[in-house]
Amino acid sequence: MIGRNRYKNRIELLQGTLDMLILQTLQWGPHHGYGIVQALRVHSGEVLQVETGSLYPALHRLERQGWVRSEWKQTESNQRARYYRITAAGKKQLASDLSRWQHMVEVIGAVMHRAPEGDEA
Amino acid sequence: MSFFSRLFTKRKAELDEEIQAHLQMDIQTRQNRGESPKHAHAAAIREFGNVALIEDVTRETWGWVGLERLGQDLKYALRQLKRSPVFTFTVIATLTLGLGATAAMFTVVDHVLLRPLPYEDSRQLVTISEAGKKGVNGGTPFLDLRQWKQRSHTLQEIAFYRPTNHISFLGGNTASTHVNAPEVSANLFAVLGVQPAIGRGFDGQSDGSVLAGEAHNIILSDPIWRTIYGSDANILGKIVKLNGESYVIVGVMPRGFTFPFGDAVPHVWLPKVIGDKDMVRTPNTTPNYGVIARLNPDLSLSTAESELKAIQSEVAKDYTDPYDRERISSIKLQRYDDTLVGSDLRKALLALFGASGVLWLIACINATSLMLARSTIRQREIAVRGALGASRWRIVQQLAIEGLVLSAIASALGLGLAMLMLKLFERGLVQQFHIHENMAANLTVISLLAALTIVSALLCSVSPAWIAARSPIEPALRQGSPQSSTGVVQYRTRASLVVLQIAMSLILLVGCGLLLRTIYALRHVPLGFRTDHIIVANMAIPAFRFAGQNMTTELYQPLVDRANRIPGVQSASLMTAVPLGTTFKMQFTFSTTGNSAAEIRRRDLVSQFRVVGPEMQRVFGFRMLKGRFFNEGDTASSQPVVVVNQAFAKQYLGTDQHLEKILGENLLNLTKTRHTVIIGVIDDERQVSIVKESQPEIEICIPQITPDTLAYQSVEGLNMDLAVRTDRSPSSIIPELRDLMRQASPELNDSTFTTMDQVVEDSYGSQQLAARLLILFGGSALLVCITGIYGLLAYLVAHRTKELGLRIALGAQRGHVMWFVLRQASWMLIVGSGLGLILAYMTSLLLRTFLYNITAHDPWTMGAVTAFLVTGGLAASYIPARRAAMVNPIEALRAE
Repeated sequence: MIGRNRYKNRIELLQGTLDMLILQTLQWGPHHGYGIVQALRVHSGEVLQVETGSLYPALHRLERQGWVRSEWKQTESNQRARYYRITAAGKKQLASDLSRWQHMVEVIGAVMHRAPEGDEA
Repeated sequence: MSFFSRLFTKRKAELDEEIQAHLQMDIQTRQNRGESPKHAHAAAIREFGNVALIEDVTRETWGWVGLERLGQDLKYALRQLKRSPVFTFTVIATLTLGLGATAAMFTVVDHVLLRPLPYEDSRQLVTISEAGKKGVNGGTPFLDLRQWKQRSHTLQEIAFYRPTNHISFLGGNTASTHVNAPEVSANLFAVLGVQPAIGRGFDGQSDGSVLAGEAHNIILSDPIWRTIYGSDANILGKIVKLNGESYVIVGVMPRGFTFPFGDAVPHVWLPKVIGDKDMVRTPNTTPNYGVIARLNPDLSLSTAESELKAIQSEVAKDYTDPYDRERISSIKLQRYDDTLVGSDLRKALLALFGASGVLWLIACINATSLMLARSTIRQREIAVRGALGASRWRIVQQLAIEGLVLSAIASALGLGLAMLMLKLFERGLVQQFHIHENMAANLTVISLLAALTIVSALLCSVSPAWIAARSPIEPALRQGSPQSSTGVVQYRTRASLVVLQIAMSLILLVGCGLLLRTIYALRHVPLGFRTDHIIVANMAIPAFRFAGQNMTTELYQPLVDRANRIPGVQSASLMTAVPLGTTFKMQFTFSTTGNSAAEIRRRDLVSQFRVVGPEMQRVFGFRMLKGRFFNEGDTASSQPVVVVNQAFAKQYLGTDQHLEKILGENLLNLTKTRHTVIIGVIDDERQVSIVKESQPEIEICIPQITPDTLAYQSVEGLNMDLAVRTDRSPSSIIPELRDLMRQASPELNDSTFTTMDQVVEDSYGSQQLAARLLILFGGSALLVCITGIYGLLAYLVAHRTKELGLRIALGAQRGHVMWFVLRQASWMLIVGSGLGLILAYMTSLLLRTFLYNITAHDPWTMGAVTAFLVTGGLAASYIPARRAAMVNPIEALRAE
């Protein structure tokens, strides 16, 4: 009962951001799930640890929405794995996600860094 | 499905492979970093998390999971239900009763109250009648309604028609069809907003009357066109015979159209050409019309009524006789659909529908109680599922589906039960509500049933499921101790449910009791005539065959003579309508002028009017109070005579003393020269209905009615009942009577036969129907309620066997233990009955229209019914109480 909620909450919390991160990772080339986790870890300087419980539902959801496409391929170590590739629609989505993200960062930043002027009055 | 599930299995396998690949790659990486294979494996799995759950969550994004789960739950639910057949049977049987009763009653409500009339915007249609001191008049003379037409602005258009109160015969010489042939104004179809499907309507003048050139045209209804003319597309211009006269077919109305609404016999419509008789207002000879109009949209009924009342005060000035003027001084406006179902009937029907709804609620409550008990038994199973990761919602969903499966099965069976009930009660329903179409369940009924099914499922499964899903997992998982605190809570919940059931059952049982008392009272009303061993034939009289002849001597007299000669017939006679018969009513009013007190009283006297054969006293055994009944000596050439009843004599004389004074009085004249005298007073009898006190009545003697008498035209061709007193069984004598009828005239073959006992029973049909329905509903409720009490106490005893065993081991008397269980039952019965009596006190008023000779709050009925219910409840609790007292302490404690 509790275990399930753990995954669910994370998905909800990261929903928009995780999708954006996955799409960004796939911009650099097709990847399988494990590869995405590793790539995100490496590129975030070992800070971002994506939960598999969030990753796979997210990947399948993105595929359903047509933003990524998947195919089975052999890895370098001869392991059969499912590779995800970003689609044109996915790229468009990534651009819009990114601009929204940037906008949000700016807005939140503006609020957080506002000098406490006139508070004394 | 197999394709779908194969596809599904494939995708599942793929997901599994994808995740396994992920794990393999992780393990490989870890091993490459130098970790031992065993350690790498464990670490990878730890980091990945709950594989099954992640797969589950991922699959949810596919969007099919809901469906897949539904399938799983369905399969699981069916397996569960199969495992406990007694439970399943009880729940389904209970719900079937509730749903079936409600569906059946709703079908009736739908047909009677919700049926759409086959006219455009039928709520705008109103009927207009003249009203006055003596109440609402049956019809309006043309001169009056023409003034309304000219002056009214609140009504768009006013149409009129002359309903027929006799059967017409359509067709050739060999086979003829019964039809209803009202004469209609030219604008009637336009007012109703329906145009002929083929051909045209009647051409008319601005006053609504049909042009004289159309007098021999006819319009057919769709059923006539289909059945008799085989949907002939070239029907227009063909000649058809109606009552022996030829008419040219000019139109066919569309399917479903009928007017006046509610007749069982199919229609044809004749044109109403206004004649000389319509240009005067002479009582008894000027034709009267039914008036139907279309109200201007956005205008209220009362606006139109006040306008017409203003117009009517002008109309009244045209009446010279002050007495006649008083009769038409006012106006009554009613919506047409309201005139079809009386408000009493509407209320009564809704009360019965409400009763079926109560039964449904009881059924749902019982099902809830059972589901609650089951969820206790399944507590462990539910707890295990929770521990394995099932969410609360998922558990509720699964139990709700079980409820849904149960109610779906129940509603399928309920539909069957509803159809069966409608079949069983068909006669009563048709008689009371004039439903002529087939009462199959239509879409409205099915959708209501579906809605009820879902509500039932929710009511009976979700709350127990919710309680079950919320209960903490750990105590349930721990072995043993079912006597937890949840057990107590559940017991209390179920006890309150049982109390509710008792209360609601009492409502139905009180209604049932009141109606049984009513039926008893009705059966013991002194009717004033004998009803046993009498066969009644309502004759389908082909009056047109006897045009220009004397029907009395040509048809009636020979018929009666031959009927009297049938072996086994003690006596046979004719009467325009037998007492309590519904086929024909004729009233007689005096038109004397004069202002003495006696004359004013006599003018206000409205009397039943019957034409009777002299042998009728022997058939019905009417009791003579004064004078004599008709006999063979009263013939066309002898002194015209009449017989009146006691109620008539009382009103006529203004006193009930010395009724013989009325003998010899002259009431009416058969012709200008033949003045009647009263020769006898018969005892009162119920003529209109059993619940109605005897009405004043005048009877005249058939042989004295000749074609030149006034009564001949208005009575003889319209309706006649042959009543036969015989010791033979109806089934043996009716064929002989029918033969006899057919020999007299082929049309008479269609006469309807019944027995006088049946006529009497039909006359309290509405009470009979209500009583039977309430016996059915109340009986079912009682049964459900008693099983509820029994089930709960059995549960209590089973639950507390150990405790009871301990008590007995410690020396408790068995009687004492028994009393412990019975006390629980008494407590529920007392609270339930108390609550039920309050509810019954409020609801039994709804049954008022059905009741006779008993008040809705009759304390004896309420008391007796309560006692009955309490006795039943205690009897049901005796079994578990006995079982409790029989508990063997050694066995009970060994089970520990």
